[in-house]
Amino acid sequence: MTLALLLAWTLPWAAGVAVFCALTAPRLPGWVAAALGHGLVLGLLLAALAVDLFARSDTAHALQHAGMPLALFAMVCAIAAARRLRHAPGVAREPWANVHKWKIALALIALASLVWRGWLAAREIMLRPTFPWDAWDAWAVKSKVWFLLGHYAPFVSMHDWADGPSAEIFTGPAWSYPSALSWMQVWLASVVGSWIEPIVNLPWLVLWCGMLLGHYGQWRALGVARMPALAFVYFLGSLPLLVVHVALAGYADLWLACVFGFAVLAWLRWREQHDYGQLLLAVLCAIALPWLKLEGAVWLLLFAGWAGYSSLPRRWRRYALGAFGVLALIGAAVGRLMLPLFGLGWVHVELTSITIPVIGTLAIGWHEGAFAGAATALFAQPNWHLLWWIAPALVVWRWRELLANRALLSLLVLLLAGFAFLAFLFLFTDAARWAESYTAINRLVMHLVPAALTLLALLYRELPAIHRDTAPASAPLRDSV
Amino acid sequence: MIRRLACALALVVVWLLVLAWAAQVRWDSSLQPQQRRAIAARDFRVVLGAGTEDGDFLRVGAVGEDNSALQTVRAQLNANDLALLRYRFDGFPRTLELSFVFRTAESPDDVQAVTVPWPGDGWVSVDLRKVPGWRGEITEVGFAEYPTPQIAPESVAFRPFRFDGMQLWSSSWRGSFAALYTSWFGYTPWALLSVSALGPQREVAQPAPLLPFAMLGLISSLLAVALILRWRGAALFRAAAIAAIVLWVLLDLDWLSDLRAKHLLTESIYAGKSWPEREQLTPDQDIESAAAQVRAYFAARTVPQRVLVASDSKYVFLKMIYLLLPLNAAPLQAAQVPQVAAPDTFVLLFRDSVWRFDEARGTLVNAQEPQSGTQVERVFGTSFEGTRRFEPVLESGELHLYALRAGGGR
Repeated sequence: MTLALLLAWTLPWAAGVAVFCALTAPRLPGWVAAALGHGLVLGLLLAALAVDLFARSDTAHALQHAGMPLALFAMVCAIAAARRLRHAPGVAREPWANVHKWKIALALIALASLVWRGWLAAREIMLRPTFPWDAWDAWAVKSKVWFLLGHYAPFVSMHDWADGPSAEIFTGPAWSYPSALSWMQVWLASVVGSWIEPIVNLPWLVLWCGMLLGHYGQWRALGVARMPALAFVYFLGSLPLLVVHVALAGYADLWLACVFGFAVLAWLRWREQHDYGQLLLAVLCAIALPWLKLEGAVWLLLFAGWAGYSSLPRRWRRYALGAFGVLALIGAAVGRLMLPLFGLGWVHVELTSITIPVIGTLAIGWHEGAFAGAATALFAQPNWHLLWWIAPALVVWRWRELLANRALLSLLVLLLAGFAFLAFLFLFTDAARWAESYTAINRLVMHLVPAALTLLALLYRELPAIHRDTAPASAPLRDSV
Repeated sequence: MIRRLACALALVVVWLLVLAWAAQVRWDSSLQPQQRRAIAARDFRVVLGAGTEDGDFLRVGAVGEDNSALQTVRAQLNANDLALLRYRFDGFPRTLELSFVFRTAESPDDVQAVTVPWPGDGWVSVDLRKVPGWRGEITEVGFAEYPTPQIAPESVAFRPFRFDGMQLWSSSWRGSFAALYTSWFGYTPWALLSVSALGPQREVAQPAPLLPFAMLGLISSLLAVALILRWRGAALFRAAAIAAIVLWVLLDLDWLSDLRAKHLLTESIYAGKSWPEREQLTPDQDIESAAAQVRAYFAARTVPQRVLVASDSKYVFLKMIYLLLPLNAAPLQAAQVPQVAAPDTFVLLFRDSVWRFDEARGTLVNAQEPQSGTQVERVFGTSFEGTRRFEPVLESGELHLYALRAGGGR
């Protein structure tokens, strides 16, 4: 079992690293960390995909059925990656001798604190049966059924379940939730041969490590110097609610946050460095969002819409804006608009309500209590340390740098659009009750947190030298769009 | 030099004002409490559980049948004069939650309970001014201990501890700051809501949150520096950046301390046990036990087509369904189950007061439905009536399992 467990972790990691290296221009600063971090996250998603594709009929032996295709895929990607690496110039190393010793000491202390909380979270996962409500009520239901049954079984709505009395059809409150995490848990359960919750929850710790490594590597590749990049890794890793989602593993929100963060980073690298491999990586990450959680469909629409729009030539942007305006006018005149959301279906937007398939109808109207709830969640509770106090202040203060860099401006607009969506959802619809009770607002805000840290890290990169001690590791390649 | 001294003085004043505001100190209150009422632990009477005197202290060695312990003492106190509660315990297990209970002359039949912070080492202080009901004459006070809700399994929650004593103080700067310290740096156990928000506390005496006041102190300090030292531009930016980073790190240290304390509870319950043992140690051991009985029942027969689960609590029936997997289980909700004509269907009621078994008719009736009541056969479609009957197959305490049998009789 030990060897199988080792294989179950290393094979996806190797596949993920190979995919990342095959896609991206190698040997920029931080490329090793970026590859290892992305490899951890992408690898687990690839393993889930492989189980979904090759082990549906025999989930108890998912490793055997899905392992070989995954290994073959990893080898193909590794060959492609080796070719790229062979011809890539060596990375210019940033010498440690130039860094003050006290800064190195601080960085080591910060890293040690991350390791310490990672250790606490790991112990929490390894000791405790699955604890958070939605973890056992929603996310682990399918995986437990599929693994213990020994094969895939469809989950349908209560109505369909009642109408089709078959023992092979299942239902539950989360019947419509995406299945990526379920397949990932099946992968690990099949390795140990039984449903052991600490084992199937371990990917959340790996995800956290991958998120920190991946962001560090990509920030470095985007021109953030080593010490500031480490500092931002500490800021990201120290955010309490992110650590909670690792320690109390089982929710999909951290996955969405990480993969959306990766998509944004890859998109920025494509914009600044014209690396088409990174564009492909951004597309892959974005497509994975609805596969992780239903809300991912919204982030996919927003990301794809804005990324597509901002990459258009100026004249086409005017046309696109005009078309969007006409659509909005028609919607307002008719009193109804239909939006296709990948993974959700057609969302009906009316003047007084929004109907989302699976979720239901949300009435539109101002909810005063939700404003206090949202403000408390972001600015008073200890969920985010100082993040939401500092981020808006920095953005306002450094608006000139933001305007001067179109890639950063694009990221800011994307984040503002995301927050506008959340503000509308929690202040103007029935979802307000989830802000007043604090049950959802922080988790949805979390989806944007790594991308927001990326904005701050790149804003730091843009600061004039007078405001900081160290120069960036490599001058950022300016966006020429 | 004078400017620097003035700036240092201004910073001290700024933080004193901010902390005083956060602690809700009354400006006219004294530095030290004018009135102190100490009650020795040995004066408390054990109402639930068992305890023995140990000098001035009280050793609590057992809990009552409901897994809780209660110690009270008669008192004559004026709530308006004495609003700061202090208490000290020794060896208080992390798996227990503590409540302060009191009775007022105004409502002698009502015992009011307030969840208070977990007592660590030393004295813990709580400001009772915001506690509803803490007014007028207090006739009885005490402490109740019980397994920490949502997180501690009842079977392993209790361990003996020593109650050292309690004090009630009048308003003072010292007392208010002590209560602020407890509320900001005390530990809060994991709860189901933790995965969504770390803020909300179960304590009724809602304290001021740390973060906004820390930011207020930081911003005011930067303003003072800018005004007195005339720092501008890069110098002010550096000061702001360093101050923000320092504050971030301090908040993080506080969070790490809380995380470690949370984790120590987990360690105290689960460490050193095998996975099969830990699997049984859920906070909902009664649900786990009931689910185990149902699983054992079905292990000895053909796996049923479907199991419909009902309970008064959504949490309970969802948890039950999860524990029963891979049985094909779903909630029994009349509105959502218009047609289920499947034979070999079972209905599982656990801690449910809605459905009751009508033995004469061999059916389950929704007791809360006005008038005639909704019958399960209607829920299951009209074809069911007269052709199949429910039969109780497993009864154990609050657990009732019924099988839908073909044919008219039992």
